[in-house]
Amino acid sequence: MSAMVRTSEELDLATQFRQGDDSAFDRIVEQHSAEIAALANRLLGWPGDVEDVVQEVFLSAFLGLKKFRGECRLRTWLFTITVNRCRSFRFRRRRVLARVAIDDPEAAAGSGSGCDQVPMDEETFAMVRRAVQTLPRKYREVTVLRYLQGLQTQEICDLLGITANAMQVRLNRARARLKEQLGDLFEEKS
Amino acid sequence: MSEEQVKTLLQRADEIAGNPVFSTVSAVRIRRRLQRRRVFRTAVPLAAAAAVTIAIALLTRSGQVETPQQQPQPQQQIASLQEQVNQLKAQTDATLKLVQEVLERDRQQQRLDALEAELASIPDPVRRMEQQVDRSAFLLVYQADRLYKELNQTESAVAAYKEVIQLFPTNQWADVARERLSQIEQRRINKSEDKGETRCEPRSV
Repeated sequence: MSAMVRTSEELDLATQFRQGDDSAFDRIVEQHSAEIAALANRLLGWPGDVEDVVQEVFLSAFLGLKKFRGECRLRTWLFTITVNRCRSFRFRRRRVLARVAIDDPEAAAGSGSGCDQVPMDEETFAMVRRAVQTLPRKYREVTVLRYLQGLQTQEICDLLGITANAMQVRLNRARARLKEQLGDLFEEKS
Repeated sequence: MSEEQVKTLLQRADEIAGNPVFSTVSAVRIRRRLQRRRVFRTAVPLAAAAAVTIAIALLTRSGQVETPQQQPQPQQQIASLQEQVNQLKAQTDATLKLVQEVLERDRQQQRLDALEAELASIPDPVRRMEQQVDRSAFLLVYQADRLYKELNQTESAVAAYKEVIQLFPTNQWADVARERLSQIEQRRINKSEDKGETRCEPRSV
C-alpha cells in the first residue's frame, strides 16, 4: 500500500515538473540525492568525491523526467541512470588510468600498499573495497545493489534488465571471486 | 562463507569508507547548465564554419593572385571577392565576439554562484551575537533563580537580577528579572507587614 502511495506521489511530482514546477524537481533531488551519491560512490570504488556523476545523473533525469510514466519506481529509474553514468565514467577513467600506468607503472601498482601506519582494520576494509572494485562490472553491480544498496531481487532485475536466475548466478560468482581474493580474511571472520 | 558474512563484511567496509561528497543540485542550476551547453553547441560550430569559409576564400583568392596569367579575372570580380572576404571576416569577428561575451557572462555567473554559496554558508553574525546575548542573560537569570530558590541567598539573587537589567535592559530576560525583583520586593513587604502585626498583637498568657 505504502509503495503504491509512494509511486503515486512520484507520479505527481513528475506531473508537476512537466507542468513547469521546478520545485517538484528540487524535491526529487532532495529525496534521492543522498542515495544516488552513495550508489555512485560504491560503483566507482569509493572515490569519495562523486560531484560530477551526481550532477550528470540529475541532468539526465531533468531531461528525461518528462517521459517518466511511472512504470517503475522513480528511485529505480534514477538508479538505472546512475548505473549507466557510472559505467561510462569508469570507462573514461580506465582510459586515463591506462595512460598513467604506461607513464608511471609504480604509481598505478602501489595505490593501496605499504600503509604500515594505517590501523589493521582500516587496511583490511580498504582491501575489501579494492576487491569489490576489481570485480568485473556485471558482478560488481549486482554485489553493490544487493548487499550495499539493499535492493530486492525484482528491483535489481528491472534495473539491470536481467532475469532473477542471471542475477543469482552473478551474485554467486561475485561471492566466489571475493572469497578467492580475500580468502584469509573470510577464514578469520568465520 | 555465507551470504550474510559477505554482506556484513561489505557493509562494514562501506561504512568505514564514509559518506560521499557532493553539492546540492537544483533545477535552476541545471537549466543554466543546459543553456550553457546549448550556446556552446551552436556557437562553436558556427565559429568553426566561419573560420573554414574564410580560409577557403583566402586560399582561393591567393591562388587567383598567384596565377594571373593563367586565368585572367576581371577587376570587378576581384573586388567582389574582396568584398565577400571582408563580409566573412566581419561575420567571424561578430561570432567570436558573441562567443567571448557568452563565455565571459558564464564566468561571471559561475563567480556569482560561488559567492552566493559562500555567502549562504556564512552564519549571520548579528543573529549569533543576539543568541549569545540571550544565552548570557538567561544564564544570569537562571543562576539568580537558583540563588534565591535553592540556596536562599536573596541578596545575591537580587544583585544578579539587577545585573541582568543593567547589562541587558532590552532583553526578554531583563523583563523576567524585573518581575522576579518585584516579586521579591512584594514578599519582603508582606513579611514585614506580618512581623508588624505579630508585634502589635497582645500576648495571651
